[in-house]
Amino acid sequence: MIVLGIETSCDETSVALVKDGKTVLSNVVLSQIDIHKEYGGVVPEIASREHVKGVTLVFDQAIKKAGLKYSDVDLVAVTEGPGLIGSLLIGVSAAKVIAMNYQIPLIGVHHIAGHIYANNLEREIEFPCLALVVSGGHTELILMKEHFDFQKLGETQDDAVGEAYDKIARVLNLPYPGGPQVDKLSAIGQDRYNFPRPMIDTNDYNFSFSGLKSHVINFHHNMVQRNEEINNADFARSFQEAVTDVLVQKTSKAAKEYQVKQIIVAGGVAANRGLRAKMLERITFVPVYFPSMQFCTDNAAMIAAAGYFKYQKTKLVSDYYLNADSRLKLQ
Amino acid sequence: MNLPSKLLAIDTATKSIYLALLIDGKTVDSISQEGESNHSVTIMPLIDQLLIKQQLQLNQIEGILVGIGPGSYTGVRIGVSIAKMIAYLNSIELYSFSSLALLASCSESMNILSSIDARRGNAFLSTYQQTNGILTVVNQDQLTNLETFKAGLSEVHDLITEGMPKIEKLINSNLIYQVADVHALVPNYLQITEAERNKAI
Repeated sequence: MIVLGIETSCDETSVALVKDGKTVLSNVVLSQIDIHKEYGGVVPEIASREHVKGVTLVFDQAIKKAGLKYSDVDLVAVTEGPGLIGSLLIGVSAAKVIAMNYQIPLIGVHHIAGHIYANNLEREIEFPCLALVVSGGHTELILMKEHFDFQKLGETQDDAVGEAYDKIARVLNLPYPGGPQVDKLSAIGQDRYNFPRPMIDTNDYNFSFSGLKSHVINFHHNMVQRNEEINNADFARSFQEAVTDVLVQKTSKAAKEYQVKQIIVAGGVAANRGLRAKMLERITFVPVYFPSMQFCTDNAAMIAAAGYFKYQKTKLVSDYYLNADSRLKLQ
Repeated sequence: MNLPSKLLAIDTATKSIYLALLIDGKTVDSISQEGESNHSVTIMPLIDQLLIKQQLQLNQIEGILVGIGPGSYTGVRIGVSIAKMIAYLNSIELYSFSSLALLASCSESMNILSSIDARRGNAFLSTYQQTNGILTVVNQDQLTNLETFKAGLSEVHDLITEGMPKIEKLINSNLIYQVADVHALVPNYLQITEAERNKAI
């Protein structure tokens, strides 16, 4: 089954063709990162404008790269949410046109389901499976007993982990996007500041990063006030160690309690080298998998894969009234 | 201009979705439906209904006419995205027109002021003169204060903010423009984003 995936939830316009939920035939990503860099973050109106500008060209590159015709497509899968509403709408509108033009079934996909299924593109997911979803908008532990069955064990009570990373990067005057910069810098630093590990020992699977974020920002501010020399690398490392300690500890605990066969890490922060290393070092009783770097960030191949399994499981397709939902819940 | 036989016209820059189906230069069906910021939900089902009534399928359309604004940013992007996709998928001609010119086609008056609300007293507006059903642009599309602009007009104008457009009038008035590169078409926003303005300061 050939699935055409479409992802436009934030600042990447992406179209992919994927066979049977696992074989990527093409995955074209038009990134706007250089445009938003100048503003220190994604500007929603600019993102929407760029999506409408690039949309048909991305489709054209994806279908040509796959060596297919649109009439070869069996299912159209599109990110319906969550994300920036103006951006989501471009993808959803384009998806409906393809579906109507070629009479192909259409299915809406949750963005996070996509990130989870990015893992299936390189290795088939085995169940029960624990997914740690970490990105600029999400920090969640999800238990999957079978395909397209998501049981949320816990989530952040405030900031997403990627959000905290971006704020810390800003304090350290690092360019956008800050997460990868903090990760890079921390590789050459020492954990000297011993920042708190929020909620590390609580008896649940929830997270909180807003307190840590404020603590680190205040700590930095006070050092500046006292004219103390700040080693950015040590600072980044100390923050990263605090965050990853919590993520790894809770993931490990959940994996034991639910006796999962594997752990998969999903979302943009899955690309974080510090997190990858610590997960593999501390969790040895069960395999831990990460998508390769190209599938960690937003892409349409993961949406096509998720769409395939959603269709296999539910056989439910959307009609042309499919709407984008910026706050869609994962079900 | 020599237009293909089966044309679909789309405009989503205002509160209403406007759709029309033209065959051999005549409008065989049209819809102007007011929505509550849900153009993205209703537009494809409306296109579907329009086509079914004429026993046509989307891939049988031979040309697309699309309003590129100015107007609601989110709204106009939906229409432009859909038009670009239909034109690209079927390798058919794409034509653009001003969403304000389309509004002007609702009026039979000699002097017409087309206006789409842009908040805080501002409007996307333009003026037209009409003779024998042919529209001529007098003041080009612009974003300005509506009351100030109106005060500067010497003659009485028919202020049009909604109505039932007639796409044929735009075609006859030579107010549609062939799009050379479908991929490159973008809405006519008439202003850069707030973020870009703030950066420039």
